[in-house]
Amino acid sequence: MTPKATSTAKPQQATAAPNALESLLKAYNETTSSRLKTVDAFLVFLMLSGIVQFLYCILVTNFPFNAFLAGFSSCVGQFVLTASLRSQVNPANRAEFKDVSPERAFADFAMGSIVLHFFVFNFLG
Amino acid sequence: MFSRWGLLLVLGLASWATAKSSTGDSVLVILEPKLDKDNFSIFFDGLREKGYDLTFRAPKDVEPAVIEYDSPQFSHVILFAPETKSFANDITPQSLVTLLEKKTNLLLVVSSKQTPLTSLAPEFSLVLPPPGTPLLSHFPERDTPATVIPVNVSPNPVVTSKLPPVWFSGIPFSLQNNPLLFPILSAPPESFAADSEGDSGAEAVVQVSEKGGEGLWAGSQMSLVAGFQALGGSRATWVGGVDLFSDEYAQKETKPGVKSGNKEFASAVAAWTFQESLALRIDRVTHHRVNQTEALQAYTTNDEIVFTAHISKFNSETSAWEPFSGIQDMQLEFTMLDPHIRTALPPVPGKAGEYSVTFRAPDRHGVFKFVINHKRKGWTHLESSTMVSLVPPRHDGYPRFLSAAWPYYIGAISTSLGFFIFSALWLAGDDRESKKSKGSKAE
Repeated sequence: MTPKATSTAKPQQATAAPNALESLLKAYNETTSSRLKTVDAFLVFLMLSGIVQFLYCILVTNFPFNAFLAGFSSCVGQFVLTASLRSQVNPANRAEFKDVSPERAFADFAMGSIVLHFFVFNFLG
Repeated sequence: MFSRWGLLLVLGLASWATAKSSTGDSVLVILEPKLDKDNFSIFFDGLREKGYDLTFRAPKDVEPAVIEYDSPQFSHVILFAPETKSFANDITPQSLVTLLEKKTNLLLVVSSKQTPLTSLAPEFSLVLPPPGTPLLSHFPERDTPATVIPVNVSPNPVVTSKLPPVWFSGIPFSLQNNPLLFPILSAPPESFAADSEGDSGAEAVVQVSEKGGEGLWAGSQMSLVAGFQALGGSRATWVGGVDLFSDEYAQKETKPGVKSGNKEFASAVAAWTFQESLALRIDRVTHHRVNQTEALQAYTTNDEIVFTAHISKFNSETSAWEPFSGIQDMQLEFTMLDPHIRTALPPVPGKAGEYSVTFRAPDRHGVFKFVINHKRKGWTHLESSTMVSLVPPRHDGYPRFLSAAWPYYIGAISTSLGFFIFSALWLAGDDRESKKSKGSKAE
């Protein structure tokens, strides 16, 4: 959905940049299902959490490094899993994932996440 | 009751009778026939008074052998045979070295004549002057020949007390750079070794000294009595002239009314040679973690380790080993191939004979050794090596819940919580969506 919105916004850049953002938000709010909005909110949270941990590692301390790796990779891994869930359940991609029902996609996502967290908490120390 | 007292008395007498030496009381004196035993009565009687058991033998006698069935028969050997050219079969330079290896102490006397002993001297890093060149000195002015010289005793570990000058007549030696060898009596600065006992060779000496002194056997760098502490712990003392020990020199006056220091000096030299003085030993070493008492086979990297050594010194007056705290410069090494840690091992104040240090083990795992290697001239070498392993922490030995890591913990926990909340929302939303989709389908 979003790529379409940006491509429509580009030609009128000079005159209505705020309008472009507004129309982007508007189009996003109107055309995105609440389910995908939940997914997007979770993705933003994971991204912010990862950024905070990375900054803490660079600016404050990378000790214990295993804890940093566990915390940071839990964010990255969860982000990847959630992003793939989003692309699988997006109605716009239905043609591509004909064989994958949304239930199946969520089950894969949940299974993958549980395995990821198992490793993360083992590695956290 | 009587028998018990009797036993105590016997024990007391036995301890009285034991030698003052820390290694044994039997002494073999190999005395060449030319020398009269009675001329050395002060020296020998002094040894007997201390509790030594003297056995005399001529160099060519076969009995008693110094080594029998591969075991040395005497604790100490005095070789007063400076001019003997041929010995019995059991006394060769090799057998003397073997004696030293087998912890027998040697007191060796050489003279200006060429003997088997002069060829043994280079093995001890001693360089003797050419045959027939005794030490001469024309100072101070005196009525004795130039070869009979009063020598001032400079303080050294073996002779600690201040002694009057010592009469000496014999040869000097120069000491090569051997850490086991040290001078006990140095030659007077104005003395020199020269060809002739008269002054006919004096011009040659003057000529040599004008050329910068090269090849000149002179000065206080020469040594008259030198001590050698073998690696095995036995001691050998080389003396440049046998007359040092004679009664005549012991009673001869250096100044009117002042007796020479020969008696005390000879006694001190014998005491050092026979392991009475400057004899040390490590009784035991212990190691443990700080605040624990048990010695471990394996320590963890970065552990705080306490190492303690107990050291005794032999006291010849009581014939007993007594705790000794007088070493100030001892070091401990914690070694794996190289010393990873080298630290001072100071005496513990208030605890006699105890030396202790606390140090942090290196952050390196492997097989390490606690090494004490204390070698000082004149003193018994102290060597000790204790092996321990140093292992990394066990899997549960690392610190946990570090405050610095809380952002990471919170990150991981919040991701998991987020996953649960997301899943709950998804599943809850699923119903709504499906209802909606059903509704839309119905429409």
